Amino acid sequence: MAYEFIEHTADIRMRVSGKALTELFSSALSGMGDILFPGLYKEGMPLDTERNVSIVSADPTVLLIDFLSEVLTLSYEESVVFCECRLEKVENGMLEATVYGRKVSGFKEDVKAVTYHEADITENEEGCLETVVVFDI
Amino acid sequence: MDIGRDNLKKISDYVWEIPRAFRSDMRVSARIFASEKMLPEIFRDHSLWQLVNVATLPGIIGSAVAMPDVHEGYGFPVGGVAATEFPDGTISPGGIGYDINCGVRILLSDLSFPDAEGRLGELNKRLYREIPSGVGRGGNLRLDATELDRVLRCGARRMAERGCGEERDLENTESRGMLPDADPAAVSDQAKNRGRGQLGTIGAGNHFVQTDVVEKVFDEAAARAFGLSERQVVILIHTGSRGLGHQVATDHIRKMVDAMERYDIELPDRELASAPFSSPEGQAYFGAMAAAANFAWANRQAVAWEVRKAWEAVFGKERRLSTLYDIAHNIAKVEEHEIDGERRKAIVHRKGATRAFPPGSHEIPEAYRASGQPVVIPGSMGSASYVLAGTETAMERSFGSACHGAGRRLSRKGARREVRGKEVRRELMERGIYVETGSLSGLAEEAPFAYKDIHDVVDAVEGAGLARKVALLRPIAVIKG
Repeated sequence: MAYEFIEHTADIRMRVSGKALTELFSSALSGMGDILFPGLYKEGMPLDTERNVSIVSADPTVLLIDFLSEVLTLSYEESVVFCECRLEKVENGMLEATVYGRKVSGFKEDVKAVTYHEADITENEEGCLETVVVFDI
Repeated sequence: MDIGRDNLKKISDYVWEIPRAFRSDMRVSARIFASEKMLPEIFRDHSLWQLVNVATLPGIIGSAVAMPDVHEGYGFPVGGVAATEFPDGTISPGGIGYDINCGVRILLSDLSFPDAEGRLGELNKRLYREIPSGVGRGGNLRLDATELDRVLRCGARRMAERGCGEERDLENTESRGMLPDADPAAVSDQAKNRGRGQLGTIGAGNHFVQTDVVEKVFDEAAARAFGLSERQVVILIHTGSRGLGHQVATDHIRKMVDAMERYDIELPDRELASAPFSSPEGQAYFGAMAAAANFAWANRQAVAWEVRKAWEAVFGKERRLSTLYDIAHNIAKVEEHEIDGERRKAIVHRKGATRAFPPGSHEIPEAYRASGQPVVIPGSMGSASYVLAGTETAMERSFGSACHGAGRRLSRKGARREVRGKEVRRELMERGIYVETGSLSGLAEEAPFAYKDIHDVVDAVEGAGLARKVALLRPIAVIKG
């Protein structure tokens, strides 16, 4: 997955990239799952929960943060780590997605929130879309 | 470009300024309270850039302020204070943070360390059993919708009405544990669902319940007024509004991101999203924040009740714990301050900063009016903590605010790279500190070396005149999630 964690004094700073918005959003979701429960997700593992998510936001960056926030809320409401998603639509500030996850008895990390701080989707030197996401923990 | 020593103007030994001319979008200067020795540590992360961004908030007055425990956060730095014009300046949820009314309560016992020493290990085990801790862990109180709304409106008072507290607890809590502007209707169902089962829990991260002994008294008169004496055993509770507060902040920051264009507000960081205090968005957030703050006070009241049960089980029912003070360090309040020579209302944002009102303030309990408001500064697990008293100088320099803790210097990952949780536990035990935790990696993240030196922080606070030392506490037992 195209995400990595970089230093932050108190919280978690994640750099995430993807060839297109769909890949970027999908990787960001996996990264958040990896914070909530490191090592839980393995490709091909059975996932027992699916939920639909619809978001409308001002631009792609805000859409990404709002999407992650919405999924984080769902995670806490239902004790589920969401690790995969199918994005039916990510365009013109609208997102429709199905997210897939696994029920857990508890999380390993308390992610208080997904912040807008430093988030800015731009194209990097390799021609991929990239942004930083800071999680409050 | 980094911000370094060359960008700072020295005002005095403990006061530094980034002038307004530093960046064209700054509306006021930025002030940093720290000793010269502490500055290189502060320059290492993005704290001061974040502080400069805060100085661009519409309606900001005085200066954007950083305490000596400042470190980078998101939007606002942690350890920051900003006041805006009332009623049309902005309110910024990022200036309070996600853990609304995270704060500290200190309970006083009538036992001295030599008398309690033999049973403190047993007490710590019982505290760990009695107080739910850890990520997302639910509590023993389950509230229906009506009762949750009562808690959101009445805070710690509602817990006292339920038999989980006494009048003196409320008397010795900031704002008597209840902000009157709370609006439960502005709190989303999702937020209520997240908080419903979490009353009486401390959560994870740097939250804790810690037993300390008063190691040294600096100010006899203030210590007497606070009920503190050397060798006395006291208990610190550090927690906040749990998932309910996190969701309130998330919901309203999102609304303000959408609303900013409507109010023609442009800011260098979306996480500073704000709206005029008097606008519908500003009022909705303030009502929801006040409700979440009340939830946090109810939470610390519920934890205090659990602590008392454990204490009485170990030391007997005749041994009581009384509240010295309970104080918020992530909150926004409407307060009166002297601004440009006249007394005016202002919206004071404190994120990782503690209110520190002076002697004579009508906002503090009568018993403390001669000494100033108690300010509790918890150090990292395993280092010292302090009780301070607020001063008149804090009113002049920092909108009546002081620091809130030691302040992180090393990332959580960085701390885990340096040490394993087992080693931290062994080292603490060797120093005579009992530790109960559900997460060894969490213990490593909170290792004492991950924080700044609390003594440097408090010396700088006192040097800047923001508060004066009353007592030094040494930890003897800690539970954390």
